Amino acid sequence: MERDDHKFPDVLSKETTRRGFLKGAAAVAGGAVALATVGGAASPKKAMAQAPKDVMRYLFAERQNCTGCRACEYACSVYHTGVVRPSVARVHVLKYRGVVDVPVICWHCDDAPCIEACPTTPKAIQKDKASNGIILDEKICLGAKCLKCKEACPAQFIRVNPDKGMPLMCDLCGGDPECVKACYAQSGNPQGPCLMANKLGFGVNQAYRDVTPEEAGEDLYDLLFFPSKSGGRR
Amino acid sequence: MAAPKGGYFGKILEIDLTKQQFKTRPLSDETARAYIGGAGLGAYYLYTEMKPKADALGEDAPIFIGTGPLNGTFCVATRTAIVNKSPYTGLLSHAEVGGHLGNEIKWAGWDGILIRGKSKKPVWLFIKDDTVQFRDASKLWGKNTDDASEMMLAEIKDPYARTAVIGPGGENGVPFACVIIERFRAAARTATGAVMGDKKLKGFAVRGTKAVPVVDNKKFYPAAVAAKQLAIDKEAWQGIKRWGTAGLLELKHWVSGSLITKNFQTTWYPDIEYIGAEEANRRFWKRHVACNHCPVHCMKLGVIREGKYAGLIAEGPEYETGGLLGSNCGVSDFDGMMAAIEECDALGLDGISTGGVLGFTMECVQRGILTPKDLDGIDLEWGNTDAMVEMIRKIAYKEGKAGVLLGKGVDRMAKEIGKGSEAFAVTAKGKEIAAHDPRGDKGRGYSYAMGTCGGDHHEGTDAQTLATWCMINSLVMCSFVGGYPWGKEIPGVFTEMLNPLCGWNMTGDEFWKAAKRIMTIERAFQVREGVSRKDDVLPKRFTTEALPEGPKKGAIYSAEDTKKMQDSVYEYFGWDGNGIPTEKTLNDLGLKFAVADMKKAGKG
Repeated sequence: MERDDHKFPDVLSKETTRRGFLKGAAAVAGGAVALATVGGAASPKKAMAQAPKDVMRYLFAERQNCTGCRACEYACSVYHTGVVRPSVARVHVLKYRGVVDVPVICWHCDDAPCIEACPTTPKAIQKDKASNGIILDEKICLGAKCLKCKEACPAQFIRVNPDKGMPLMCDLCGGDPECVKACYAQSGNPQGPCLMANKLGFGVNQAYRDVTPEEAGEDLYDLLFFPSKSGGRR
Repeated sequence: MAAPKGGYFGKILEIDLTKQQFKTRPLSDETARAYIGGAGLGAYYLYTEMKPKADALGEDAPIFIGTGPLNGTFCVATRTAIVNKSPYTGLLSHAEVGGHLGNEIKWAGWDGILIRGKSKKPVWLFIKDDTVQFRDASKLWGKNTDDASEMMLAEIKDPYARTAVIGPGGENGVPFACVIIERFRAAARTATGAVMGDKKLKGFAVRGTKAVPVVDNKKFYPAAVAAKQLAIDKEAWQGIKRWGTAGLLELKHWVSGSLITKNFQTTWYPDIEYIGAEEANRRFWKRHVACNHCPVHCMKLGVIREGKYAGLIAEGPEYETGGLLGSNCGVSDFDGMMAAIEECDALGLDGISTGGVLGFTMECVQRGILTPKDLDGIDLEWGNTDAMVEMIRKIAYKEGKAGVLLGKGVDRMAKEIGKGSEAFAVTAKGKEIAAHDPRGDKGRGYSYAMGTCGGDHHEGTDAQTLATWCMINSLVMCSFVGGYPWGKEIPGVFTEMLNPLCGWNMTGDEFWKAAKRIMTIERAFQVREGVSRKDDVLPKRFTTEALPEGPKKGAIYSAEDTKKMQDSVYEYFGWDGNGIPTEKTLNDLGLKFAVADMKKAGKG
């Protein structure tokens, strides 16, 4: 699965002469042309692997890039249940008005409204200190009777398992999210992947998480499909 | 009659619209293994349960919406097959459509849906796992496909359900009306829209929460991953990712010489630069959309930014819609073409047949056979997109003299108009053909003339690929991830996935035998309706007029080509010289029940 043939040349990190800089720039331009015409997958996977591993991890979704293929749902359900079953996938994709796709993810908020709302003692939902994933203890959780966490989630991420009535929580697969890997494997130019891990800290994510999937869909719909001038919608 | 172990749920949902009831019909492992699913299973049900020459719009006429064993598993099998007897051609037809619907049906626990009967009032169905709700569709009736599908999702308050609806075209019984899945995808070539409209069934929404049973996940999962990787790695597929099928518009014009132009008069259309993929990329496309779990994301959505149609959101152009409603009508105005495509989608008309009808009418106008007076004053000159959009609306609502005339389809129009227009009525088995000119791309002749439905672009390019396509349509996969990229690795890739999935021990030979069985049962249905060698031909235009210009200048589909095509296919599948399956073939393939019918057809 490792693909390094379409790597972006790392121009800035090297100390370069003017000549070297021009060469690098040409490589970048050439790369851009190649990407625009051929459309290979730009996979920063390698760069990711080299980056120092943070203790705290977050998911991030570049919503504009989502193609709605639901590979993330497949990967999530395969990791957690062993079979393909999108209805129990934690991460999911909302098709809004049949036109835009909104990936709905857990932002792993630092203040975690879901944990705050959990009425049990000890809390049925807890954050894993090592991975920052949200872990649900199904023995303590009250399940369908309660679902206070579902109400509390500002991003309306939490869905309910149709079998047991338990809320579905994103545990970040213990620190190496499967959905992110699936999205990288799936994506190609010109869009690039949609799901990312560790891209940004929570400071930025907070702006995203207070948006419900429908609102995000409406935003995307306006952003992408509203014509620049005068023309109204059909 | 054992129940299937994996891959199938072993249940077919039978819906009776007259009584508004539903029941479960078991699907045995033997039947599943013999007919696989999708198009094959549909052909089996229709053959055994419809009487010969039965009315396609009758009370009992079934619509089969089928899935395959690989749907809903990790394998990239995204499609839905719709099989019914087409009231347009009077023959068995199947259409396959992408999206998420097929997998959702599977996750709801069904291997297929058989719809029968006729409702008195407009109705729509909501299928959630094991339950079926019959809902009142009087508010939805008359709405276009976009609004209807939105209203259905709003009514059930489940944005994760997937929809299939018909538009005004289907409600008004236009014979080439289609079903629109998830707003932009069309299961178009079966006239299912007209059948559903006749049954007063506006559409259905499906939501499933189950998982498909897998016998040996440890073997199946890596096989499915490897099969998907074959599609991802294929360099050619990067082009489809980037440009969609619209990229073929330019390719077929410049290289293959098979871009249909002005009702198949030529294949050379330099104006393609104004309506092709590069133009679409420059001024129209906004995002790429993928079917379920598909790495190719060939569907492109865009919005028109300025001018008369500003704000119009549409899908495409795809190769077929861009070819038929673009170059086939001599269009060089991109926005107008997109408006025509979206009009077809919104009104629920088959873009291919509509483009064929408009192209044919435009040639009639060019030759002075029809005048604007005959067409309610609409000036259908080459490239007049405003007139095209207006005419599409008239066809869907059967409005005026022109709407009724064009709503009959090319074959019946030519008969009614006469005056030599039969010579350029381009149809195969009574249906307008898709956007590849078989003179430039000889393989497509097989698909149009020898394929089951006629005029269909999805049925293979020689005898062997006709069989491959039978399996792809029965497994309900897409050629971009399951057909072309695997090439020589077929059938190994399939059997490696199917065996651990279903607990079978299928070999390559059995795979090809199943393909032949499916092709032969489809053929038997057509033979029962009166099809024989004389119908397996291409339209006159391809056999009498050579291409006047372009990269394949002078190419023609000669009588030898036709004979070679027919003979090779008959021989491969074991049919006699008249295209009728022989008794030996039927017995070999386990189709004994068809022997009597075929004998009768052979004599008659």
